[in-house]
Amino acid sequence: MSELALDLLLMLPALLLLAAVFLLPLLRAAWLSLHASSVVTGLVAVPNGGANWRRLLGDERFLQDAWQTLRFAGVSVALELLLGLALALLLHRPSRGRGALRALVLLPWALPTTVMALGWRWILNDPHGPFNALLSRLGLPTYGFLTTPATTWLATVMADVWKTTPFVALLLLAGLQSIPADLVEALKLEGAGRLTILRRLTLPLLAPWIGLALLFRLAQALGVFDLIQVLTGGGPAGSTESLAVYAYRQALRFLDFGYGSTVLMATFALLLLPGLAWLLLQNRLPRRNA
Amino acid sequence: MRLLALLWSLGPLLWQLHTSLLPPEALVGQGPAGAAAWTLANYRLVLAGDPPLWRSLLNSALVGGGTTALTLLLALPCAYALQRRRGPLAWGVGAALLAAALFPTVLLFLGLLELARTFHLGNNLAALCLPYTALALPLAILLLRAAIADLPPELEDAARLEGMGLGMRVRAVLLPLLAPALASTAILTFLFSWNEYPIALTWISRVDRLTLPTAMARLAGSSVFTVPYGAFAAATVLGSLPLLLLVLVAQRWIVRGLTQGAVKG
Amino acid sequence: MSGLSLEQVSRRSGDRVLLEGLDLAVAPGECLALLGPSGCGKTTTLRLVAGLDPCSSGRILLNGEDITHRPAGERQVAMVFQSYALFPHLDVGENLALGLRSRGVPRPERDRRIAAVLELLELTPLVRRRPAQLSGGQRQRVALARALLRQPRIVLLDEPMSNLDARLREDLRPELRRLLCGGEPPVLYVTHDQQEAMGMADRIAVLQAGRLEQVGGVRELYTDPRTRFVADFLGRPAINWLPAEGGRVLGVRPEHLRPQAEGGIAARPLRREWWGHQPLVWLETPHGTLRMLLPAGGELLDYLMVGWRAENELWFDADGRRIDGAGPWRQQGRARAV
Repeated sequence: MSELALDLLLMLPALLLLAAVFLLPLLRAAWLSLHASSVVTGLVAVPNGGANWRRLLGDERFLQDAWQTLRFAGVSVALELLLGLALALLLHRPSRGRGALRALVLLPWALPTTVMALGWRWILNDPHGPFNALLSRLGLPTYGFLTTPATTWLATVMADVWKTTPFVALLLLAGLQSIPADLVEALKLEGAGRLTILRRLTLPLLAPWIGLALLFRLAQALGVFDLIQVLTGGGPAGSTESLAVYAYRQALRFLDFGYGSTVLMATFALLLLPGLAWLLLQNRLPRRNA
Repeated sequence: MRLLALLWSLGPLLWQLHTSLLPPEALVGQGPAGAAAWTLANYRLVLAGDPPLWRSLLNSALVGGGTTALTLLLALPCAYALQRRRGPLAWGVGAALLAAALFPTVLLFLGLLELARTFHLGNNLAALCLPYTALALPLAILLLRAAIADLPPELEDAARLEGMGLGMRVRAVLLPLLAPALASTAILTFLFSWNEYPIALTWISRVDRLTLPTAMARLAGSSVFTVPYGAFAAATVLGSLPLLLLVLVAQRWIVRGLTQGAVKG
Repeated sequence: MSGLSLEQVSRRSGDRVLLEGLDLAVAPGECLALLGPSGCGKTTTLRLVAGLDPCSSGRILLNGEDITHRPAGERQVAMVFQSYALFPHLDVGENLALGLRSRGVPRPERDRRIAAVLELLELTPLVRRRPAQLSGGQRQRVALARALLRQPRIVLLDEPMSNLDARLREDLRPELRRLLCGGEPPVLYVTHDQQEAMGMADRIAVLQAGRLEQVGGVRELYTDPRTRFVADFLGRPAINWLPAEGGRVLGVRPEHLRPQAEGGIAARPLRREWWGHQPLVWLETPHGTLRMLLPAGGELLDYLMVGWRAENELWFDADGRRIDGAGPWRQQGRARAV
């Protein structure tokens, strides 16, 4: 057997499974988005000539959810990068018990989203959660963190930031550790202060890691599902509903598989944006050997 | 600063722990909840519930174990071949794997649901390992490929000169040297599987087959107004405990695994 | 036809040519050094002979038998790697046993052979240590022990001493020769260090950019280099180059330059380095900076004339090929017949 044949054979099982689980559903969703498949058609796919896509463009709920998803992703990813960078810088400094600190800080990321979403539901509870208990003890009126349409999305952002900042911090910490210490020392000998080092050395060398964290978090945040589903269920009044939650509802609550697939494909298209931006950026920046 | 970071990440968890130990009356009563005596009543409640929570924990552990084993089994040969092979094929596969690793899996749930229906895989914990394995594979392959790339190539050359075949090289050289990387890959895979929600939600409907995240969500969805928060808290603590132990014990490997994947990915 | 011979061996990877049409023969028991700068193809040659990489074209013969397509494991090749390639998870004994076990050597014989080689290399007390617990020299001896255990038909050494310090290298040379050379198998020794090549090898093959420049005895390469590259690469301090008409260049080795009373090139000493037992003098001349090895005890003036004998001139054409019987270099450059 030739080397090439052997290598292909070794890769085949994994690649086949990947194709079945990634490509098949995507292609199926693309196909279904051009068909009517709901209770009305008896769950049989009937071609409907792009009616799903026309409905999508006029669907105010979809447009609202798209905006809400973008808003959620933009704000939470920005916060995660900022806080993650700060946390990474903190964890990078040598200190006693750094390993334990890392493990403890990492905990929120390791917990199931559903578990921690439940936790936040209790903490933000009106009137019995600790925040509101504190407010009422101070003689202030309690606040419906999860029941006020204008602000509840901020609660979802906070919960997401709480959970994924450690992950971003860990990625950036890896980047920090890859920066040779002698570079920092050389800059120090030039008389550079901490801020200069951060701006002129750390951040530029960290750029690939920041890019990776940004890409990964953006993709995940645009597809946010678990958190919203458990923390708010998309409410109040649909004010926190994301595209993925909407697609899930269309398919499994209203059993409209054709339209659900269309919403999924639209979300997928949204995902391609950061992907393309990444590719462009990669070509523009000189390739660094990380 | 450190204290702040700790408070930020641990505060909510500690609060859950505290809540889980309070008697139900203290939760809705006015006044300082901390004054009430701690009790294990909530734990008794969830563990005796229908279905009992330990059932979901067990299910999650089974799926996690199966997924981890299957993932390593498939990822290692693929990573090995991928690392050996240079050129456009390997580059393309690598790029596709990176894209897949970044992909939000929720977008696949509809198609996967249909696959489950077509092949009658619903409510089958063993079958659930298949999509889980596939979803964990991209990261696992990238991590292992990076680890293999870090091994000195002369070691394998030396083994070849000794006349060792592929199987023997894998057993006597590759596996022992890759042990740390395999450990971190296994832990990350297990974490993913333990936490996965959307696919479990669509594949599993029988209550005695629910995995932990779905059981949790079911608790949450049971009633919007009279939510038994004490039971909730007890459930979250029980559901977090295995992970807490895992993270504390395996912190080093998790960090190393993520770091390596990031550098080489 | 005994020994190892390479016939028109080439190796390409993608569109990069790593080795082009190499012809080389190594007699049984002969030690041939492959010498050249990094990237010249010397390690590539070694890997082709070992069977670790496939030849793109050409044949490799061992004792008349074509082994070009034999898998590495069947060639009975012993190789010592630059990094030693000891398995870090196994102790010394296990490292040595691994190959024998994979070739199905029965336990009693295995133990006997390992014990013998451990004894030979004075490794017996270290048998339960892992590579990380050994010094560089000890690791090198383990790698040698592994090579000796193979009962090889070819011995390949890839910069086996470059990770050791200079003194240890010098001490090890006779030991390496004693253990590996002079037996039945031909020995290929890769190095970029000419001192080591001269000390170890019976003959030296100089490679450059994937091509063989010249192969010959140590003395022959030094006194009769066929290309400018070989003249430049061999010999420290390096040869002096003087440009001449028609793109030709003249090479004169520093030890052949000498002060003289009249004639020759006007020179002003810039500085003096102590080069072992002789001073090396840097001279500023109208033809560029020259290096001169002054005979021990020689006196230097502030300003002097230097020259050389005609028979020490090495002439090369514009393509770097040797021209026999050219010259002499401008009349005034020659020393008077003594």
